[in-house]
Amino acid sequence: MTAPWIETDTTAGALAIAGVTGIAFGAALERAGLGSARKLVGQFYATDFTVFKVMFTAILVAMLGAFWLGRLGVLDLARVAVPDTWLVPQLVGGAVFGAGMAMAGLCPGTSCVAAASGRGDGLAVIAGVFAGVVATGLGFAPLRTLYDATPRGPLTVPAWLGVPYGAVVLGVVAIALIGFRVAERIEGAR
Amino acid sequence: MMSRTRRRWLAGAAALAGGLAALAGTPYRRAVARAPGAPRSPAGVIDITELARIVTDQEDHVSAIELADWLHAGRPRLRVIDLRTAPEFAAYHIPGAEHITLDRLAFTAFAADETVVLYSELGVHGAQAWVFLRALGLHRVFFLRNGLHEWLDDVMSPTIAADAPAEAKAGFARISELSRSFGGLPRVLGGDPAVVAPVPLARRRGC
Repeated sequence: MTAPWIETDTTAGALAIAGVTGIAFGAALERAGLGSARKLVGQFYATDFTVFKVMFTAILVAMLGAFWLGRLGVLDLARVAVPDTWLVPQLVGGAVFGAGMAMAGLCPGTSCVAAASGRGDGLAVIAGVFAGVVATGLGFAPLRTLYDATPRGPLTVPAWLGVPYGAVVLGVVAIALIGFRVAERIEGAR
Repeated sequence: MMSRTRRRWLAGAAALAGGLAALAGTPYRRAVARAPGAPRSPAGVIDITELARIVTDQEDHVSAIELADWLHAGRPRLRVIDLRTAPEFAAYHIPGAEHITLDRLAFTAFAADETVVLYSELGVHGAQAWVFLRALGLHRVFFLRNGLHEWLDDVMSPTIAADAPAEAKAGFARISELSRSFGGLPRVLGGDPAVVAPVPLARRRGC
């Protein structure tokens, strides 16, 4: 028997799975202390790299898990959806997202965690997120050209670079471990 | 706070898993079959002469009855790919079919020893997908000649005239047995009205 064991093409099914994984994700963020805006902005002032370490650890666990489960025949990676890439709009979106995160001290996930734990700034960020969504929707027409620009399909790093998956996995692990070491040295020096 | 020793163990485990990953080959359950020297990316190579010969010899497609025979016999390493949209697939698909849309086909892994049968609503997308997979180096790939329509007509609701020759009736008996094994309803036109019953059909539009 090979994973994924649950496949759904319905909105209700997707929302149910998203609800379960979202709650688990939020619980993990809360356990890591990422409901605090002070902790999040610490990475921008190079005083606290918890966010970097938690997120990169999550990436490593997911990447190594997916790779080895696929390699061992437990997970059929060919049946796991890869979201499409639109290069320029996603770079622009990432920059806007990063600026908002630096200003608010929270991202959408951690703002929900903050709000759930009773923090007013979390509620304010959630309100800001929804306001941004509504504003973007209302002013979407002039953004349409950017929105549709540079489609690349379900692009992956191995396909993009033309290198084996395993080499990319090793590269990401190396970057993460070096990053963790550097982050701890910076934290220790302060 | 996690101890330094524990963190070092975890970092070592990650480094080991990452290092072995570089040597472990593809994480895909089935390696993508490629022609010798073909590029690694989904971009493929087409041998036009060879493809023209295969098409001329009609070795590029299977009929619905042939596919039903393969499925019924449990042909090993057979993969049936439904290229239609997700709602269409959810509404009805050939038993055992996988849903992979045309734009994701090039990113799907197929093994060289698998027999792949492609189909869509009609025959067009199946034939186009056949070219794509041939370009990617797969050899045991076919498309369902007239798509799902042919399956619905020939397998799920085959018909024969009540006054058909005995030889045709003998062939129809075998098809009828095959049809019933897939939940189909063979009909004798002009015969016993009791066996003439509507068959649930998928929507028929597009390709």
